[in-house]
Amino acid sequence: MVCYQCGVRLSEHDFCTGCGADVALYKKLLSASNRLYNEALEKAGVRDLAGAVSVLKQSLKYNKNNIKARNLLGLCYFETGEAVSALSEWVISKNIRPAKNIADDYISMIQTNQTRLDTINSTIKKYNQALAYCYQDSRDLAIIQLKKVLSYNPKYVRAHQLLALLYIGEEEWNLAKNELLKCNEIDANNTITLRYLQEVNRMMMPEDMVKGSGKNKAADDIVRYQSGNETIIQPGRSRDFRIFSTLFNIGIGIAIGVAIAVSLVLPGRLKQAQSNHADQIRIISEEMDIKTAAINALEQREKRLLDENENLTAELNEIRSVPLSSETSDNLLQVAALYILGPPEDDDDEISQIERIAAYMDGVSLDELTYGDPAFKILYDSIIAVIGKELGDLCYETGYGFYRIEEFASAIPHLLRAFQYDPENGEALWNLANAYEQNNEIDKAKEAYAQVIEFFPDTDKARRADARLVEINITGA
Amino acid sequence: MINFEEELKKFHPSLEVEDAEEAIYNQDLTDMTDILLKLLGKGGMFEGEARD
Repeated sequence: MVCYQCGVRLSEHDFCTGCGADVALYKKLLSASNRLYNEALEKAGVRDLAGAVSVLKQSLKYNKNNIKARNLLGLCYFETGEAVSALSEWVISKNIRPAKNIADDYISMIQTNQTRLDTINSTIKKYNQALAYCYQDSRDLAIIQLKKVLSYNPKYVRAHQLLALLYIGEEEWNLAKNELLKCNEIDANNTITLRYLQEVNRMMMPEDMVKGSGKNKAADDIVRYQSGNETIIQPGRSRDFRIFSTLFNIGIGIAIGVAIAVSLVLPGRLKQAQSNHADQIRIISEEMDIKTAAINALEQREKRLLDENENLTAELNEIRSVPLSSETSDNLLQVAALYILGPPEDDDDEISQIERIAAYMDGVSLDELTYGDPAFKILYDSIIAVIGKELGDLCYETGYGFYRIEEFASAIPHLLRAFQYDPENGEALWNLANAYEQNNEIDKAKEAYAQVIEFFPDTDKARRADARLVEINITGA
Repeated sequence: MINFEEELKKFHPSLEVEDAEEAIYNQDLTDMTDILLKLLGKGGMFEGEARD
């Protein structure tokens, strides 16, 4: 940026450092011009060519010497098919800056190609001719002419717009819209194009929608518009129908999905479930077999125990049925008489009273008393309570006499009775056990030793009996 | 609603190549800078480009 007066390059100050001229406003004007150029450049970048042209014109109003803005303006003109306007701007640009100006290239590009220049000129002439047809109300000729123009120069926006206007005049909405869409592709934000397009779209909308009324329900189902001599009727679909259709399609989709799942996934799941059930059934069957076997064993055991119980019961009844013999009862009565009345007067024997009683007691069967008449058992117990010890001592002396001479078989009955009559006589029981052992009646010996340990605990006899039992069990003798 | 006749009036004939020279000469190139300089009563150093 140089001073308008002396040509010195300007600094950041508001005056010229060369001549002192006030350049504040001058700098602002140039800055505004540049700013507008930048704005136009952005618009041109998004194909807002009409907007860019407008801004560039403003930029040049601030600074006619803005070469970049002028060259860009020429480019925008050329892009919209205004070749002569473009050439004019480039020529002016070249005139302002003859050297290092890209406008020179643009001009050369057109002028060196005579055919292209002729085509441009011919196109412009045809456009002007078409416009003249329009003024003469020869619209058909104008349309034909404009189609030719656009076949030579498809980017001629004004020709597109004029053709669209003619189509609108003829109510050829579709054709008009096509032309306007082409205009939009070239110049995206052209005001005329957008206004025409808005009109066309409005005319192509269903009549009822335009009116904003829904009184005629049948009209909702069709889209009707005029295109030239033809009335286009497109089947429309109401909003309710679209919603229903969407829901119906979703339902069909879900049904198909379920069907696929049933046909592909379900068999596998069923097979797996059946396999699991079969395994469970097998396990349960095995458990049932085991339990059935256990039940059978228990039933057999129960049957055996019942049989055994029956046998024992029968045996017990048999035993109980044993009657008290007359010998036992007579001997017991004799014992009682001897004890009460004393020995007979004519008795001259030398045996003592107790020996007589013992002789009678030998004839008393304890088993018969146990299962016989209870009165005899009571009598027996009463006699034993009184003279049991004396009887026991007598039997013990006799049995021990046989024991000492090792006549164990003879000793055993006496020793047995000695303990029977006097249960306190531990020596009798101990010697009885030894006699059994010596007489090879091992089971009875073990039983007698066990009785010694049980009835006379913590005694020397008990300890010895325990030792004997251990030895018998070890030797197995 | 577009009035066809009114809209048609907004369309003007394009400049033909032969008319370009005349159009260039007739173009009003006066800008704000020229007006400013006239207001300041000073002639610009350059009739042509103001270099930036």
